[in-house]
Amino acid sequence: MSESVALVLPAKIGSGLLSIASQIGGVAMLLGQILARLNPRKIDRHELFRNLHRMGVRSVPIISATAAFTGGIMVIQAAPFVEQFQATGFIGWAATFTTFREIGPLLIGLIFNGRVGANNTAELGTMAVTDQIDALRALAIDPVAYLVVPRVLAMVSMMVCLCVIGDAVALGGAMLTADLLLDVSPQLFWSSAMERLEIWDFWVGLIKAFLFGLMIALMSCYYGLATRGGAPGVGRAVNASVVAAAAGIFIADYCSTFILD
Amino acid sequence: MGFTSRAENTSPITALKMVISDVGAVYRLSVRTIYYLFHGKREKGAIAAQMYAIGNQSMFFMAVTMAFIGAIITFQTGLQSQKLVPDMSMVGATFTKLLIRDLAASVGALPLATRVGAGIAAEIGSMVVTEQVDAMRMCAADPVDYLVVPRFVASVIMSGVVLIIGGFIAFGAGMLVANVMFDVNPHTFANLSMVNSGDVIMGVTKAFTYGGAIALVSAQRGLATFGGSEGVGWATTEAVVGSCFAIIVLNLIISIFGYFVFPAL
Repeated sequence: MSESVALVLPAKIGSGLLSIASQIGGVAMLLGQILARLNPRKIDRHELFRNLHRMGVRSVPIISATAAFTGGIMVIQAAPFVEQFQATGFIGWAATFTTFREIGPLLIGLIFNGRVGANNTAELGTMAVTDQIDALRALAIDPVAYLVVPRVLAMVSMMVCLCVIGDAVALGGAMLTADLLLDVSPQLFWSSAMERLEIWDFWVGLIKAFLFGLMIALMSCYYGLATRGGAPGVGRAVNASVVAAAAGIFIADYCSTFILD
Repeated sequence: MGFTSRAENTSPITALKMVISDVGAVYRLSVRTIYYLFHGKREKGAIAAQMYAIGNQSMFFMAVTMAFIGAIITFQTGLQSQKLVPDMSMVGATFTKLLIRDLAASVGALPLATRVGAGIAAEIGSMVVTEQVDAMRMCAADPVDYLVVPRFVASVIMSGVVLIIGGFIAFGAGMLVANVMFDVNPHTFANLSMVNSGDVIMGVTKAFTYGGAIALVSAQRGLATFGGSEGVGWATTEAVVGSCFAIIVLNLIISIFGYFVFPAL
């Protein structure tokens, strides 16, 4: 068929939408396959523990550093409003509320996406283009049960654990900044945070971390397994996976912020 | 970056040493980039091509992300201020001030770093592992001049542009959410009374600085790639993590500086 100029734009939009739809469908099918492997449980335990260590334990330094800076930044951003209303007693609550509920999980998720998600896509993608996944199938080893399920479980559970660590470190960073910059004593900061902060605020952050972890895990495994086209294909897959997971994180954040009032 | 060392077991001290040496490498690259910025040869069209790849091609992704960011922040600010004062008329003013001073640039720069940083590192990294960069050196063409400078210039300019446009999109999304969720009239929401010139200077400075940081960190990681196609994957990972981390550290430094130089109120 000859393409008329007037159809170029609609065709572009249509093919873009179709490719987005097929990607969402692929991710949903992967999720279905993973859930099918969880009941009855078919998980490679050795792979699971290796991934828990590699993805979780070894992310602690970067997550702690990020969280400490985040706590500091939130205090600096809240400072002018606190000074305006003469409410130094509120600074602890103002900084921790936003960090726990929103900025903490979001920043930790984005860093985790870059560190673990991208790495995971590169690894699975390299396996896919060097036919190692087909080799697993030929040996009657289910690639989803052996490769994907341990990774997804590790990413989701470690994201939640890292968020708990991140919350604690961010609290420390915020206290230190408030003390140095605003002369708010750590005691005052702590009492203001504890007085107004509800346990639900902390849970909201963890639920978000769970959703972000799931988003990162699904995207990185889907794009890794779908890699085609040799070594350059791996680079493209990594790029597509981090971007898709970042978009997914923001969409999940938006939805969960509204639902978890 | 030392944080993403590919060795399975590294001691904290080794990791710290690696972080320090990476910071040194990025510093050396920035000095050379700035030198070639003024003394290098100009390849015609290289900067424009990079500006298109970095700016225009990220615009759709960034527009979607920034709209969500605006909506989330408004909702969160609204929730928070509902607990302090029941009056919702200042939500718009507070939101706009925070957005301009910090959040549009700082939160928006993270997805931008993911997109742009991964692209730059993957591209330069594949050139390194396929020995194209060595071929360039053989031809007496410095890779910093030919590869890094155009990406640096393009990233500084386009990050600024994309983040400023993104700020407007986030503002629009915030206005919509405030109207739907908290019944705030758009006219009341669009309240610039709390914004001063210091906020604008801070926001714009941040946007341009982050652009430079993303390009330099990612290019350094790309040039340091080794180990075939797997190495390119590692370089991409390190570029994304390194640029995000650089943005967060720069944000703290610029914010502390701004807190004293441009008082918020």
